[in-house]
Amino acid sequence: MMDKFRMIFQFLQSNQESFMNGICGIMALASAQMYSAFDFNCPCLPGYNAAYSAGILLAPPLVLFLLGLVMNNNVSMLAEEWKRPLGRRAKDPAVLRYMFCSMAQRALIAPVVWVAVTLLDGKCFLCAFCTAVPVSALGNGSLAPGLPAPELARLLARVPCPEIYDGDWLLAREVAVRYLRCISQALGWSFVLLTTLLAFVVRSVRPCFTQAAFLKSKYWSHYIDIERKLFDETCTEHAKAFAKVCIQQFFEAMNHDLELGHTHGTLATAPASAAAPTTPDGAEEEREKLRGITDQGTMNRLLTSWHKCKPPLRLGQEEPPLMGNGWAGGGPRPPRKEVATYFSKV
Amino acid sequence: MDKFRMLFQHFQSSSESVMNGICLLLAAVTVKLYSSFDFNCPCLVHYNALYGLGLLLTPPLALFLCGLLANRQSVVMVEEWRRPAGHRRKDPGIIRYMCSSVLQRALAAPLVWILLALLDGKCFVCAFSSSVDPEKFLDFANMTPSQVQLFLAKVPCKEDELVRDSPARKAVSRYLRCLSQAIGWSVTLLLIIAAFLARCLRPCFDQTVFLQRRYWSNYVDLEQKLFDETCCEHARDFAHRCVLHFFASMRSELQARGLRRGNAGRRLELPAVPEPPEGLDSGSGKAHLRAISSREQVDRLLSTWYSSKPPLDLAASPGLCGGGLSHRAPTLALGTRLSQHTDV
Repeated sequence: MMDKFRMIFQFLQSNQESFMNGICGIMALASAQMYSAFDFNCPCLPGYNAAYSAGILLAPPLVLFLLGLVMNNNVSMLAEEWKRPLGRRAKDPAVLRYMFCSMAQRALIAPVVWVAVTLLDGKCFLCAFCTAVPVSALGNGSLAPGLPAPELARLLARVPCPEIYDGDWLLAREVAVRYLRCISQALGWSFVLLTTLLAFVVRSVRPCFTQAAFLKSKYWSHYIDIERKLFDETCTEHAKAFAKVCIQQFFEAMNHDLELGHTHGTLATAPASAAAPTTPDGAEEEREKLRGITDQGTMNRLLTSWHKCKPPLRLGQEEPPLMGNGWAGGGPRPPRKEVATYFSKV
Repeated sequence: MDKFRMLFQHFQSSSESVMNGICLLLAAVTVKLYSSFDFNCPCLVHYNALYGLGLLLTPPLALFLCGLLANRQSVVMVEEWRRPAGHRRKDPGIIRYMCSSVLQRALAAPLVWILLALLDGKCFVCAFSSSVDPEKFLDFANMTPSQVQLFLAKVPCKEDELVRDSPARKAVSRYLRCLSQAIGWSVTLLLIIAAFLARCLRPCFDQTVFLQRRYWSNYVDLEQKLFDETCCEHARDFAHRCVLHFFASMRSELQARGLRRGNAGRRLELPAVPEPPEGLDSGSGKAHLRAISSREQVDRLLSTWYSSKPPLDLAASPGLCGGGLSHRAPTLALGTRLSQHTDV
């Protein structure tokens, strides 16, 4: 049980892509669920019908699309990578393009589901186009020309609302509804077919052209993601070590003051000095985590240079130049080391 | 058990993810609340708007305050804002960063409520049914204005006998719900566009400052948590020693009495109470805590911590100059202790 849980957890942590796929699947399901929970409510007024239906057909997909983008961590990653100063690392537009495409693909699924469901259900289409029903072909064509246009529009606009429709003498409501729903479903299936076809073509044709470039972009976009995450983790770890040492020094200083003030700390100091040499590992561990960065200015400089001047993507040979890099050399470069340990762990 | 520990560790490790979890939870609770709430429009001319708007706006306010309450960071922020400067400079940027992150999370649940209410439409219909323009509907042609007003106020109540089965009621109600949904979707659209832009455009501004603020706000949070932990540790140790001292003094008292009684006739055999086992429970690790061993000292320590925070420069303060690991024993000891504690 425990192992399973850890495996899932590790899987989600290590593989951003599968996590995103999960989110995207959930969003698609949520989109279908939302449509069924949403109470479509045609206003049945001539001027409003088309606007309302167009809104329902288009606004939620847009919301879902943007929501997909916002929920996806890649947006800020992409924007950061795009806007970052060059530093010592080249920017590859192909990687950016790859990130954008993979993100957009995932974000598009939920909106497509919404549009398909709406069209297949047909209420929205019925509401939008009920005034455009060919009365002369479907109903009592002989009566239609006798009506003034606004009156006809008012009558027909009520077709989607069975409880207030009062034009059965002109056009049986059932007939109009069936006619419009059939068109809507035809449109819906065509839409589904087209999108599936498009997706299929994109997936199956791409390997014929740019497989090598694709692999590279995929690797590096993945790398950027992981690097970002590890940098955050290392920063948190550093902050924790910093806080620990700071508190510990504060207690130290207080002890020191008290000892200077009056010497009745005998009870305390005796065992401490006795056991002192036995356990130096803990503090060393904390200081190791600090990596020589022990004040606010240095830390700020480190963060600045991380943004302004990303280290080159070449391990091993770069140590001397990195040290003289303006961020007060002294400790080893934190993220680099972490990447190595991370990969050896996974 | 291990599973819980891992989850717990995960939450402990980054305060941000806990906050996101709480925020999601509040949003889910909001949905549940809204769906279980029984909306009940009074259908009286002057009360409708009040009730409708009240339900649209009061619960979000309460939810917003709940969001602030549930977020640990809001307390940290206020403390950081109000604390005396001490040896540590106060950075308004960090406070602003914390404030905006707290506000963002606290706003999620109220917005969910408002959007749900608008998309559902009941609140809106109740609030604005009296302000519909009757000209739009031909059904009111043969009614006096006061009758129309009465009718419109009854629109939200399906069961009222005045409006039951009337197509005009349904038409008005449909019209209002459609408006309400339109407003709801527009607000959703606007919000999501704003969120999207905020995420996209942030790197265009000063990313460095952002990184720094995030690091230091995280630091402030962690420092407070660790200080609390250390204090708890100290309190436990203090209490432990106090109790042991009490027992020890009892024993010596008993021994003294026992001697007297032994003198009187019968010899009382007391089991040997072991020395306070200071060396057993991670013994030396508490050395730094032990030194502070009276109420005045603790009080002084706490008020010093409040009034003058130590500077954010570890090399400069006396304890660890030059990375000296061997010349101050208690420091090392504390290190072990703390690392043991926080690994759990």
